[in-house]
Amino acid sequence: MTTDPRLLGIAQRLSSQALHWLHRAHRNGHGTLPPDATVDLSDPDTAYKPLGEAALAASLILRDGVAGAHDLAAAGELIEFCWHQLQSGNLLYERQLRHPNLTDPLEMYAHFARAGYRHRPLDELLDSLTRLRATHAAEMVPNRRLAVANARRVVGLDHRPDWAALTAGTWLGAAPEPWSIDWSTGYALTHTVFHLTDWGARPEGLPGPLRTYLTDWLPVWADIWLEIGQWDLVGELLIVDSCTGAPVCGLDPWERLAAAQHPDGLTPRDAEPVDPDPAQAFRDHEHTAVVAVIAGTVTLARALGAEPALA
Amino acid sequence: MPVTDTALRDVYAAAVERMAGRALDALTGAGGAVAPAAPASTPELAALRVLGPDLFAAQLLSGAPLETATTTALGAALRAFPPETPTPDGTDQDALAVAWLDHVSGFLAGVAVHQPEHVPDSSHWQRWSVRMARLAPLALPGLDGPVHRAARREPLALARGTVRAMLRRDHRTALRLTRWLAWLGTPTPLELPPLLDRLHLVGDGSNRTALDLAITQALLTEHQR
Repeated sequence: MTTDPRLLGIAQRLSSQALHWLHRAHRNGHGTLPPDATVDLSDPDTAYKPLGEAALAASLILRDGVAGAHDLAAAGELIEFCWHQLQSGNLLYERQLRHPNLTDPLEMYAHFARAGYRHRPLDELLDSLTRLRATHAAEMVPNRRLAVANARRVVGLDHRPDWAALTAGTWLGAAPEPWSIDWSTGYALTHTVFHLTDWGARPEGLPGPLRTYLTDWLPVWADIWLEIGQWDLVGELLIVDSCTGAPVCGLDPWERLAAAQHPDGLTPRDAEPVDPDPAQAFRDHEHTAVVAVIAGTVTLARALGAEPALA
Repeated sequence: MPVTDTALRDVYAAAVERMAGRALDALTGAGGAVAPAAPASTPELAALRVLGPDLFAAQLLSGAPLETATTTALGAALRAFPPETPTPDGTDQDALAVAWLDHVSGFLAGVAVHQPEHVPDSSHWQRWSVRMARLAPLALPGLDGPVHRAARREPLALARGTVRAMLRRDHRTALRLTRWLAWLGTPTPLELPPLLDRLHLVGDGSNRTALDLAITQALLTEHQR
């Protein structure tokens, strides 16, 4: 694990500034669900999915416990805001009840469960659904299967997936020619690692050969996407680097990502100009803020040997 | 020897292409001597100087004696375009790469060219791999020295440089680094046959690239025996 104090200092500042940008944005009314939101969300990507992402980032700060008191307080308020937006879990419950084949209520709930939030009727519903063959026969791309398996693990559902088989089905599981990667495949591989390791808490969840593969090629991929300012993907690759348990990318990508972060904590997704409209800027860059928060907290937690706090 | 005149640069580039074609013909058994029969023109001398060790790929890969006509012509080229003196001290890494090419060319041509005291700095894999790509004409059987030892020490850096060049669509650099990996003759972090297949498909069609492809394929075949 890295113990370079410069890198850890940058990771801490990057994460903290992104967290407070997210926190302020939500306090200022961005990222809220429309007041008439129902279980049949017409466009889940507009506010529902970002709420889950913000909850994920906050849950990892609370889980890893390596942030300062100010950041822990902001993370606590942020996840509370998200839970409130989801009607204290009722919206997730109603959506899952109405649409048993959807996986997003389970995946969203996992972020809150990680931080100790529970919704008993939803627990009961998910437990019931887990016993259905239909639930496990849902068609989805391989790294999404891992996302659902990890969500079930975090929520504590009685299910024992074949992790090796799930991993083998992913792009990363094939250890493909490293020069064949592209932008969207890059995201597929980062998510495979996130779910196998439960966002860095279980580095041992990554099979040894894949850890070696990532150690060999992560510095190249980070270099490529740094060169064209794809900050969002660079941030995800830095999370992966820490999730392996033995990061290899070094200080340079952290310095460049931190240099791209705005003084107010906005972390741009790419090298394009940032829209001056705060609402549009929030929509465009909230995901990268989440990525920056997670990159910093996972890196610090692994470097400091933090044991994830059990909810 | 920068050539700023566009027309003149085209003339020299065409001479390099023709000379690379002759080296390729020699390698594939389709031609005779690489060096022109008549006294070489100035662009031809420049081309001999640019190709350097690659002029002898056919002999070095087969273990045959070097072609006398070509060693003589390369010697003439080194006299017509003498290597830079003094030898770079390592602060100019690009000049250092050229000095190594000149040194090995001189060795093959029987002309004394000073051996640089340093090898390119390998502390930054991105920059080092680009310089090693430039030094790919040294990746031939029978040639060995400090640059080759550096390549043996850093297979992962060569492989990373190759992948980086592939993703940047700099296929010429990728091919030259693949040539080094093939020259190593040991298991590398990259599978070379599928990579070489891809490089065949995306090559620029030039004789120079075809020569690098043929040499790399020959190195791979030799090590698979």
